[in-house]
Amino acid sequence: MAERECLPTMDLLRSEPMQLARLIIPVESAHRVISYLGELGLFQFKDLNMEKSPFQRTYATQIKRCREMARKLRFFRDQMYKAGLLSSTWPTHGSEISLDELEVKLGELEVELIEMNANSEKLQRAYNELLEYRLVLKKAGEVFYPAQTRATTQQREHEHHRVERSIDSPLLLEQVLLSYFSLLGCYSKIYDAASYPPMVLKEITADLSKQVKLGYVSGLVQRDKSMAFERILFRATRGNVYLKQESVEEPVVDPVSGDKVEKNVFIVFHAGERAKSKVLKICDAFGANRYHFTDDTGKQYQMITEVTGKLSELKTTIDVGKHHWSSVVQAIGLQFEQWNTMVKKEKSIYHTLDMLSFDVTKKCLVAEGWCPVHATSQIQKALLRATIDSNSQVGAIFEVLHSKESPPTYFCTNKIMNAFQEIVNAYGVAKYQEANPGVYTAVTFPFLFAVMFGDWGHGICLFLASSFLILKEKKYSTQKLGDIMEMAFGGRYVIIMMSIFSIYTGLIYNEFFSVPFEFFGRSAYACRDSSCRDATTIGLIKVRNTYPFGVDPVWHGTRSELPFLNSLKMKMSILLGVAQMNLGIIMSYFNAKFFQNDLDIWYQFVPQMIFLNSLFGYLSLLIIVKWCTGSQADLYHVMIYMFLSPMDDLADNQLFVGQKYLQILLLFLALVAVPWMLIPKPFLLKKQHEERHQGGAYEPLHTLDENLEQQLNNRSRGGGHEEFQFSEVLVHQLIHTIEFVLGSVSNTASYLRLWALSLAHSELSSVFFEKVLLLAWGYNNSVILAIGVVVFIFATVGVLLVMETLSAFLHALRLHWVEFQNKFYQGDGYIFLPFSFSLINDDEE
Amino acid sequence: MGFLLTTLVFVVIGIVASLCARICCNKGPSANLLHLTLVITATVCCWMMWAIVYLAQMNPLIVPILSESE
Repeated sequence: MAERECLPTMDLLRSEPMQLARLIIPVESAHRVISYLGELGLFQFKDLNMEKSPFQRTYATQIKRCREMARKLRFFRDQMYKAGLLSSTWPTHGSEISLDELEVKLGELEVELIEMNANSEKLQRAYNELLEYRLVLKKAGEVFYPAQTRATTQQREHEHHRVERSIDSPLLLEQVLLSYFSLLGCYSKIYDAASYPPMVLKEITADLSKQVKLGYVSGLVQRDKSMAFERILFRATRGNVYLKQESVEEPVVDPVSGDKVEKNVFIVFHAGERAKSKVLKICDAFGANRYHFTDDTGKQYQMITEVTGKLSELKTTIDVGKHHWSSVVQAIGLQFEQWNTMVKKEKSIYHTLDMLSFDVTKKCLVAEGWCPVHATSQIQKALLRATIDSNSQVGAIFEVLHSKESPPTYFCTNKIMNAFQEIVNAYGVAKYQEANPGVYTAVTFPFLFAVMFGDWGHGICLFLASSFLILKEKKYSTQKLGDIMEMAFGGRYVIIMMSIFSIYTGLIYNEFFSVPFEFFGRSAYACRDSSCRDATTIGLIKVRNTYPFGVDPVWHGTRSELPFLNSLKMKMSILLGVAQMNLGIIMSYFNAKFFQNDLDIWYQFVPQMIFLNSLFGYLSLLIIVKWCTGSQADLYHVMIYMFLSPMDDLADNQLFVGQKYLQILLLFLALVAVPWMLIPKPFLLKKQHEERHQGGAYEPLHTLDENLEQQLNNRSRGGGHEEFQFSEVLVHQLIHTIEFVLGSVSNTASYLRLWALSLAHSELSSVFFEKVLLLAWGYNNSVILAIGVVVFIFATVGVLLVMETLSAFLHALRLHWVEFQNKFYQGDGYIFLPFSFSLINDDEE
Repeated sequence: MGFLLTTLVFVVIGIVASLCARICCNKGPSANLLHLTLVITATVCCWMMWAIVYLAQMNPLIVPILSESE
């Protein structure tokens, strides 16, 4: 303990200390208290009414009210979208209003809007019908008389066959008229009906049509149904109708559906009552609207003027109505956001109030919850303020409870570290006060990404993109972005770190869109002799000092580039991997020290360090020694034969003196470390358990302060506490040991993905550069060059900047989640979710 | 420039960076320790990468063999 006090604590390394607190609030100030605590956002309420259903809780009616108001607000939002008001232009602040007033106002506005909508719909329908009527009047008027004539002709012919001959003079009149009429019929074919004296024509036809009892129906039918309409009419009336159709040039708004459809004006001439009813039914079936049409010309003109008048009247009424509606909606729009937030807040306050339980006296509400220790004074201030503001006689009481329950984990992150903490939390939230890998992840994650991404040209592109997002931070944080943009925006600080490290590793790998540069001095290699004959067969030699920073630029494009780079990158991956895994094990040491778990230190940390380092630490050492001495030793051979035949002489593979004996020693240490990890710990745990429960028959008396729930809690977790299954602990330790031992090999190999992705990236980049850009350049044609540049840009952005970024991101993430964190991280905690209005606003969206 | 010299350069850069972090964002001892940790981790990572690449090229076993087209 004393050691811990010497070192100051580090932010973010461990969760903030949390405490379980109980608030006793008088009922009259309860609403205000919760409201102020919501603004503070540092208290997580526990649900004390778990057994009750939502309907049994105290504030169910209030929540129903809030839900009703939310529904009305949703209705208003739909109306606002219809009116074309964009959500980004809605102001967020307005005048103050209380909840009851708001409820009344919302109700009034809803009724008004619904009424206005219904009225405007009715008016619009009437308007459309009148429009159609006017069309019928106009069009039918043109075709009526010729159509009527033809219809009458047809009917006369039909009747002529059916009527019995009579010796009355009407028959003669009929016959004369018939012949005259058929002449008329012929003439109407040749001449335009209008050229005949209309009066004569009309009178005769009118008389005749009265005698033959010809009725007519006029209206509008949809053009695509017109053929079917005609056919069915014909069939149903056995050809005893005459249909004349005339198409309307422009589409007409259908009164029923409200859409614009192509229609035809039709007139159907029919004889007899039965035919009439059939025609009417068919019209209804086809949805053809019927309009009455008089055959009197005078009346027709009168009708047309009347209808036009009515139409203009209706139009003005509709316009006025629309204007009124849009002004109401706009007025709502000004206040909408404020009302919305208010309703959401109230709903959340009542939900929280439902979680509190009533005191025995029914005059107080009791709340229990978690809060950070450092927030105590803020919470007490908020309680005091609420008491004063609600003019309550009794103040609210804040009391700290002690509990064996595990508190939630709370990290106070700023916006930069928040993104990295989210990455860690996505795998698992840290157990309370466990070491947080986020501290190191903030640096190693972008670094490992950059090892796989290494190109400073691409790094600069990423840097520009992420700095754009950061500069426009304020603007974008208030807007609603799409899903993908939301993720990219949320990770802007991660991306900028990734890009900075990528620029660094790009400079080290010496790749600018796969092109190397000689920034840091001259290349170390030159031809063996001045004629450079052997350059393409045996190669160059190293004449100067090593290239001071990064990979020598001469390598790019050579035939031995890949063997060299592969060897370099594989060894680099192993070295970085062993370093990170050692860091992980050291973190477990710090955890053990913090929780004062000596057992873990001696029987887990020490053997793990010994095992990992005697094998893979030794491999790293060999790599470094081989580089420093330039020996030709085969490291695969060395490592494999260290296990297979450790007593053999090393011969050519000797890197330093005493290597054989060192190897034997390390092998022995590794072999000893395995049972050291496996066996002592379960036995010692058993002994500890027995010591703790020596006087286990007696339990300490529960004091009056502790409430019933704690006892229940203890009892429910009693299984883990009271019992000690030795076999279970042994199996657990066995699994842990096997995982570590086998994992040390597989995890080390897993780090080779750093090599794999880095190779893929540089090869892709090289292909795009050489096979697209240089090829296009080679043609000496500006059109081909332009096409080549465009293809190069698209390929670079699409494949390298987007796909490779995501790929490297994913693999770096995996390396952290699995290889780094499984050395020390438990990750079985739960996160601190305080009751806060700002979180609720984010939630609802 | 030599291995040790450049290593020294990295150390100096690390110290300068931590001083800058201390000057720019001095927010109490726990936050300072966090910033120091981040800076040191970054410096160590960058140095490791440079050192690996430098050591690998000090005594090369493979030499560049130019391709025919050049």
